Amino acid sequence: MSKSEKKIVLKSLDNEAFEVEKAVALQSQTIWVMCEDKCVGNEIPLENVTGQILAKVIDYCKKHAVVDGDGDESSEELKNWDTEFTKNMDQSTLFNMILAANYLNIKSLLNLTCQAVADKTKTIDEFHTFLNIENNFTPEEEAQICQENLWAFDD
Amino acid sequence: MGQAPSSPAESSGRDTALWLWSPEFFDCESIGFEDVVAGGHHDFTGDLPDDCLAHVFQFLGAGDRKRCSLVCKRWLLIDGQNRHRLSLDAKAEILPFLPSMFNRFDSVMKLALRCDRKSFSLSDEALVMVSIRCPNLTRVKLRGCREITDLGMEDFARNCKKLRKLSCGSCNFGARGLNAMLEHCKLLEELSVKRIRGIHESAEPIQLRSSSSLRSICLKELVNGQVFESLVATRTLKKLRIIHCLGNWDNVLQMNGDGNSSLTEIHLERLQVSDSGLSAISKCRNLETLHIVKTPECSDLGLISVVERCKLLRKLHVDGWRTKRIGDEGLIAVAKHCLNLQELVLIGVNATHKSLSAIATNCGKLERLALCGSGTIGDVEMACIAEKCVALRKFCIKGCAISDVGIKALALGCPNLVKLKVKKCRVVTGDVREWLRERRRTLVVSMDGDETKGPVLVNEDDQRGLEMVVEEPPVADGGGDAEVAGGAGKLAMFKTKLGLLVSKSFVASTFRRWSQSEATSSSSS
Repeated sequence: MSKSEKKIVLKSLDNEAFEVEKAVALQSQTIWVMCEDKCVGNEIPLENVTGQILAKVIDYCKKHAVVDGDGDESSEELKNWDTEFTKNMDQSTLFNMILAANYLNIKSLLNLTCQAVADKTKTIDEFHTFLNIENNFTPEEEAQICQENLWAFDD
Repeated sequence: MGQAPSSPAESSGRDTALWLWSPEFFDCESIGFEDVVAGGHHDFTGDLPDDCLAHVFQFLGAGDRKRCSLVCKRWLLIDGQNRHRLSLDAKAEILPFLPSMFNRFDSVMKLALRCDRKSFSLSDEALVMVSIRCPNLTRVKLRGCREITDLGMEDFARNCKKLRKLSCGSCNFGARGLNAMLEHCKLLEELSVKRIRGIHESAEPIQLRSSSSLRSICLKELVNGQVFESLVATRTLKKLRIIHCLGNWDNVLQMNGDGNSSLTEIHLERLQVSDSGLSAISKCRNLETLHIVKTPECSDLGLISVVERCKLLRKLHVDGWRTKRIGDEGLIAVAKHCLNLQELVLIGVNATHKSLSAIATNCGKLERLALCGSGTIGDVEMACIAEKCVALRKFCIKGCAISDVGIKALALGCPNLVKLKVKKCRVVTGDVREWLRERRRTLVVSMDGDETKGPVLVNEDDQRGLEMVVEEPPVADGGGDAEVAGGAGKLAMFKTKLGLLVSKSFVASTFRRWSQSEATSSSSS
């Protein structure tokens, strides 16, 4: 296999091009299927992902490709890296990472980002205030759900 | 991060939700996200497809999910449709809520119904209502549902044919209800029955009428549990646990003993079982795991008959309890026949270097060893283990008459040891821990007086079982417990005193026994 075949170019929604190792990109099932089907050349357009998000996705894939490759690096180190990776992400980036992981079908990244959002869940009021979700229950509906919830154990 | 304290003053969360107010949050342009409404008022969760939101919910506990269900209609719907596991307070008063609840949670597969001791539980009517609305249940747990009768169980069984696992405890139905489950739930793999009071002396035998997929049975604290006799002989059965059930169980075990049993794991605990029961078990040729815990009638003879014939035995737990009829003789047979042994737990078993050195020599695959509450196990025995247990990875010793000498010997041997736990061995001092730390840096050591609990190793599923057995304080004399309960200062003083009292005679005897061990090891090699 020639050197150029090992590389692949990913093009973001805003036309930013990223040249990456094939092994790195193929962690995305979506890209894997595209390559398998040979419906694309060496350049793959990703119409749902911005360059800013794609850069982060590629960072993640590079890290995980290396580790999966040599198998020597400790899983603990990788875990710490994952924690750091999502730790300081702002809300917009994190949610866009979930969308990207979902679109690109990278299971471990989807798990990581969903877990990060789950870790940040707060009280109901906070959901309304900070996530700007409209409370569209009537007081009666809300009371009914509260009643039902009382019967379910928390563990 | 991001856990808001629950004081009401902060319930708006403005002070605590730093993440959501972080500067980047407002810096929409640099993010390049076009849809962001000016001022950051954008519901990002609205961009997530339903299955992504459901995926986020998956990582939340039941309490958090309850809160999420109150956020908005979409969240309520998505949470409800994706809740596969539900645990309900099964009081009688739940009945009027059941229809709407199971409309909401329409894909529950694992359901637990628990009722506390002081309340009336839900009735047959409620159980049947649940079963009609949840035909896809695969796992069901009933606890304290005392108002449910055989009739309710029969209807339940007819409606939930996909059930794979049933666990019931402290209920009042009986053999008829259980037989209905076995008849209709043909996929049932695991059955666990604890304190079911409706099983009468003259109860119909519990049995399978057709072929089944039953793989595991656990019987706990039953009266007249012997009605399970023919179920125990089921050909597909892999795992059998009988714990603290009244009456004699030898006859039940003999149902299995024709050599065609598929059982790989047997756990007998606090049970009237004698050597004739063990001899029946010896015909289970596929047996890999055997626990004989607090079965006072079992002796060396019974153990010998098992190990002679069950060549695949990998894990053996023995708790000698009071009678201590299992000792060196039985264990020497273990050494002779169980060449595949990986895990050995001896509690209250009077083993000496005679048997332990044979096991250490012959059982080359022994990886996990726990010795608890045995007055006969001392530094000589430790020396045997240190020298010959090359494969040993995890070792626990508790309430045995060993000293620092034994611990040091162990650390100088056993090249593969990664975890060592020493508890309630009164002559062992804190000094040896420091010594170990220097000698064996990678060894995880857990000892009495540790400020923090030793790291819990979870990488091996087997370990859990070992830890559990080992956690039980096997030493009955109050001295050990008092010692642990006292403050650190007291403890140190106690140890010093004890050390002064014991050291003279102990050192003498230790040396005597060390030289003995030299003699035995040289003669045996």
